Amino acid sequence: MSSKPILQVSNLTKRFGNLVAVNNVTLQIHEGEIVGLIGPNGAGKTTFFNTITGLYTPDEGRVIFKGEDITGVPPHKICKLGMSRTFQVTKAFTEMTVEETVRVGAYNRHGEDDVMEKVDEVISFCGLEEIRHQKCGDLGLASLRRVELARAMATEPDLLLLDEAGAGLTAAELAELMEILRQLNKEQSVTLCVVEHVMQMVMGLCERIFVLDAGELIAEGTPEEISNNPRVIEAYLGERAIR
Amino acid sequence: MDTVVQSLLNGALMGCVYALITLGLSLIFGVMNVVNFAHGDFVMLSMYFAFFIGSMWGVDAVFTPAITFPLLFIVGVVAYYAIIDGTLRQKYVTQIAVTVGLMTFLRAITQLMWKAQPRALPYSLIQGSIHIAGYNIMLSRLISAVVSILAIGGVSLFLSKTWPGRAIRAASDDLDAASLVGVNYRWTYALAFGLGSALTAIAGGLLMTFQQVDPTMGVRFGLLSWCVLALAGLGSIPGLLISGIIVGAAESLSMALWDPRARSLIVYLIFILVLWVRPRGLFGRK
Ligand SMILES: Nc1ncnc2c1ncn2[C@@H]1O[C@H](COP(=O)(O)OP(=O)(O)OP(=O)(O)O)[C@@H](O)[C@H]1O
Ligand SMILES: [Mg+2]
Repeated sequence: MSSKPILQVSNLTKRFGNLVAVNNVTLQIHEGEIVGLIGPNGAGKTTFFNTITGLYTPDEGRVIFKGEDITGVPPHKICKLGMSRTFQVTKAFTEMTVEETVRVGAYNRHGEDDVMEKVDEVISFCGLEEIRHQKCGDLGLASLRRVELARAMATEPDLLLLDEAGAGLTAAELAELMEILRQLNKEQSVTLCVVEHVMQMVMGLCERIFVLDAGELIAEGTPEEISNNPRVIEAYLGERAIR
Repeated sequence: MDTVVQSLLNGALMGCVYALITLGLSLIFGVMNVVNFAHGDFVMLSMYFAFFIGSMWGVDAVFTPAITFPLLFIVGVVAYYAIIDGTLRQKYVTQIAVTVGLMTFLRAITQLMWKAQPRALPYSLIQGSIHIAGYNIMLSRLISAVVSILAIGGVSLFLSKTWPGRAIRAASDDLDAASLVGVNYRWTYALAFGLGSALTAIAGGLLMTFQQVDPTMGVRFGLLSWCVLALAGLGSIPGLLISGIIVGAAESLSMALWDPRARSLIVYLIFILVLWVRPRGLFGRK
C-alpha cells in the first residue's frame, strides 16, 4: 500500500455559536485506503464532511487535498479537483430521472459527446439499469442511496466520502453496497472515507478507523485496535448510558 | 354571448404572452429563491428598447428581440453579479429591498430617457385581423401568442435536453448536492437570471406590435406574472401556459362585461384566492 497522503486535515475547527462541532481535528488519509469515521450521534462527523467539501468554511485549520490547499474553496471546484460525497439525509434531484441525475454528475469530466458512455458505465456498475428511467422522487431509500453513490461516482472522484450510506438498508442490500465499494476501491482505485453507524460495515470494510467524540478525534487505528480502545468504549457506553 | 367568446379569445391569446413573461420570473424564483420585484420592469425596459430600436432604425417590433434578447440577457447577468449575488446569503428583507431598488432604478432611468408620456411604434407588419366563425382575431395578438408558445417550448427543451439546462434544474432541486457533483452555483444562477430577463425581451417586442409603453407599466406586468405564477405553482411549464391563459381570459372578460378599470381587480382577486385556497398552485409540485 502506498502511503502518499491524498487528504491532510490539520487543526480543523468548526463552531456553531458556542458549540464546537469539530474541535481541532488533525488526520491524514492515504491514497487507495478505505478509512472509517465513527462516533456517537452529534459527534461532528457530518459537520467534518461539510467542512472539508466546502459547504462550510472552517473557523480554524487547513485542508490539503492532493497537495493543494482547498480551505474555503467552493464545493464545485473541490469536486473538479476530485472529491465527491453522498449525504446522510439523501439529497436526490427529485424531479429528475436516475439517468439524468447520474448524467449531471458525469458532466463534471465529460462533454455532451461522451457523457452517456460514462452514465451507462456507472449505472451498470451500481446495478441501476432497472430503475434508470424512474424519477428520483419516486424511489425508496435503498435505491436513493445507490443513486447518490452513482451520481458521486460519475464525477470520477479520487476521494469519495460516504455519509452513512448503509443506514436503513437490509442485510442483503448492505452486502451489495459493500461489494460495490470494494470493487470501486480495487478496480478504480478510489480512496474511500465512510461515516457509518453500522459497525458490521465499518469493521468489514475499513483498514483504518478514526473516532470522533464531541468534535474531538479521540482515537485512530485498525478495527481491532479501535474495538479494544477504552476511550472508544467509554464514548459509546457513555452515550448509551445517557439514553 | 358573442362578446364573451370574443373577449375570451383575445384574453387567451394575451395570456400566452403573460405565460412567457412568467416563465422568466419562475426560472429566477425557482432556481435561486429570489423574489424579483423588478421582473415587470424588465418587460417595460424591453418594450422601451424595442421602441428605441424600432424608431431609430425602422425595425419592425416583432424583429427587435433579435437585438434585445442578447441585450436583456446581459442586463440580467450584470444585475445578478452586481446586486443579487451578494444578497443570497442575507436576510430575505435585504433581497426584497434590492430588487425593489432595481425596480425603482429602472423606472427612473426610463423616465429620464423617454419621459413619462406613452410611446408606441408605427404599425407593425403583423397588423390587421382574421375572421373565423364570425369572430375577429387580431393578427398581432395571434402571432404574439404563437411566438410565445414557441419560446416557452424552446426554453422547456433547453432545460430538459442541454447540459446548462440540467445544471439549472439540478441546482434548483438541491443546491448542495449539485455543487458537490461539480455544478457551479454562481454561474448557474447568473445564467438563470440572464435567461429569465432575456425572455422579457421576446415578450416586450411582441407587446410593442399592438401596445404602447410608459414607465409605470412594470408594476402591471410584475403583478400579472406573480398572479400567473401563484396560480400555476412551481415546476410545471404546461401549467404555466394554462394559468397564463386563465389569467388573460379572466382579465379580458372582466373588462368586457364589467368595467375596463376592473382588470387588475380580477387579477388580484385570483392571486389572493389562490394563495388562500391552494398555496402550491394548480400544477405546483409541493
Ligand atoms: N448547521 C448547524 N447549525 C448549528 N448546529 C449544528 C449544525 N449542524 C450540526 N450542528 C450541531 O453540531 C453537532 C455535530 O453534528 P453532526 O451532524 O456533525 O454530528 P454527526 O456526528 O454527523 O451525528 P449523527 O451521527 O447523528 O449524524 C451537533 O451537536 C449538531 O446539533
Ligand atoms: Mg451525521
